[in-house]
Amino acid sequence: MTDTESAASFAEPQLDSPLPVGSENRPVSAKPLGLWADTWRRLRRNKLALVGLGIIIVFLFVGVAEIFAGVTGINGGYLAPYNPNTPNYSIAKQAPSLSHPFGTDYIGRDVFSRTLVATRISLLVGVIAVSIALALGLALGPLSGYYGGAIDSVIMRVADVFFAFPYILFVLLLVVVLGPGFTNVFIAIGLLSWASYARIVRGTVLSVKTMEYIEAAKAAGASDLRIIFGHVLPNSMAPVYVSIAMGIGGAIVTEAALSFLGIGVQPPTASWGNMISDYLNYLQAGQWWMELFPCLALVITVFGFISFGNGLRDATDPKLKE
Amino acid sequence: MFGYIARRLVQLVFVLIGVSIITFLIMFLIPGDPAYLLAGKNATPQRVAEIRVELGLDKPIYVQYGRFVDRLAHGNLGESYQFERPVRQMLQSAIPNTAQLAIAAVLIELLGIPLGVYSALRQYTVWDSALTTTALIIWGIPVFVLAVFMQYVFGVYLGILPFYGNGGSTFLKVIPADWNNLSHLILPAVTLGIIEVAYISYMQRAAMLEVIRSDYVRTARAKGLPERSVILKHSLKNALIPVMTIAGIDLGALLGGAILTETVFSRYGVGLMVYNAINARDLPVVVGGVLFATFVYVIANLVVDVAYAYVDPRIRYE
Repeated sequence: MTDTESAASFAEPQLDSPLPVGSENRPVSAKPLGLWADTWRRLRRNKLALVGLGIIIVFLFVGVAEIFAGVTGINGGYLAPYNPNTPNYSIAKQAPSLSHPFGTDYIGRDVFSRTLVATRISLLVGVIAVSIALALGLALGPLSGYYGGAIDSVIMRVADVFFAFPYILFVLLLVVVLGPGFTNVFIAIGLLSWASYARIVRGTVLSVKTMEYIEAAKAAGASDLRIIFGHVLPNSMAPVYVSIAMGIGGAIVTEAALSFLGIGVQPPTASWGNMISDYLNYLQAGQWWMELFPCLALVITVFGFISFGNGLRDATDPKLKE
Repeated sequence: MFGYIARRLVQLVFVLIGVSIITFLIMFLIPGDPAYLLAGKNATPQRVAEIRVELGLDKPIYVQYGRFVDRLAHGNLGESYQFERPVRQMLQSAIPNTAQLAIAAVLIELLGIPLGVYSALRQYTVWDSALTTTALIIWGIPVFVLAVFMQYVFGVYLGILPFYGNGGSTFLKVIPADWNNLSHLILPAVTLGIIEVAYISYMQRAAMLEVIRSDYVRTARAKGLPERSVILKHSLKNALIPVMTIAGIDLGALLGGAILTETVFSRYGVGLMVYNAINARDLPVVVGGVLFATFVYVIANLVVDVAYAYVDPRIRYE
């Protein structure tokens, strides 16, 4: 064994290997864990967050299946054992049984089918409302944080105004003005919640924009827009993912609240909120099953998003890293 | 400190101007003619035209906005379409009930503080995980679902408390003077309070955990202070700040009307007033309610911020 060989064996040969960048044999151990791998590693230890993630996956699965059925018209436009909207008076107000696991409502509709199909409304409201808010927030927040000065002042003062309105009342006002209905619910929620995304992104952009790699991009002659949306924003997203999880849960509750108050999704279309309001009188008459199951569906779904969001926040928070 | 308050007051003025512009624009966006709404279904075109002139709807938008702000500045919130009564008068009769509920709910939510502190001091024990998990589950329950549940269990099933309406008499408009009044208050207040207890205890735990790991707490221990004084004097005092902020903002939000809770319990207050107005499409009342709630909320935020700056000098110099 020659001297050079032994020296090489001490010097971690993989690191000095002349393999081209991107080669499969490129050492991975030299790179720290990526954001996602690291987050997942820490998230896995948080049981509540995992339960939340499981709930979200089931919710997404059911919601997407129902949307798919609704769009394609398969099986009459719903995936459920019974038609959610067809009354069958002969079996009205039956307690849960094998053929109707959640019982039947006051005009004999299957409560299980209605609860299942209503998932589609919640999923659509959650996703679309948050997308509207996110689009506005992700467009305005980075501009505000990156440019600072007058642009920042104007955008943030407008955001302050939106923060000043009590959330549910303002959404109510918008829906009253726009008219009740499904579309207006998510427009209202989206329009009102952009400010919190903008503020979060602005904050992280402020800290990211002073990093060296941003300076490097500037020196390389990249345009402002490219720096903001290509370099700064992707590195400012961790807290945004947390707010997305919380925001979807919040939008689902808000839709349910509006539908509960009678100005959201209009019957006969089933939504958890309008079912809860529709069946309230029957609860007081002792027919608890109509009210219980939509309530459970709503509470469990919202819990899923909140506990996953909380877990994600803990897992991405650099202060909590060991 | 005075500089800070002055700066926040200037900000407040801008926020209020922004609020008035947005509210005005929303009213302007309404499809259809408010004059028709106001005149009723069987009105003659002549009557509609008269109302339009009365309301100034024939003027350019900036003139209308000017009149809108002028009315607001004089505390004039318009008149209810439905009851033909000034909105301000309606608010005045609804506010005491709402205030009573808001104050009671916030007093209940303060119970979250000892729970959160206990959790933090016993981190990773069975009690801690039980409390944290329960808090997370309750925090996720929409308030109207909990209201329905409480109403059923305590009002209908057990039948031990009245589950709708208001009653009895009060002392100074908010303090219950008899059992009748207090018993009507319990269920709505506990409903609102429980959810916030969960949230507050969660936040108090986080704040406490951060503080007990800080250097000054280690210093306090190192100089041999008894544990009791380390926790109560050095840790809790600092860990209370963020939680008191939440409680203050909650009070501001609830004073504007707890629309869902008041509706479920048919408890008269600002929230139920707005709900009834929504069903009647009585826009001046809805707008009046929203503006009132916004105003109270903004003021509460200001008070909380100033108090925060007072107890934590680091804030003032930012």
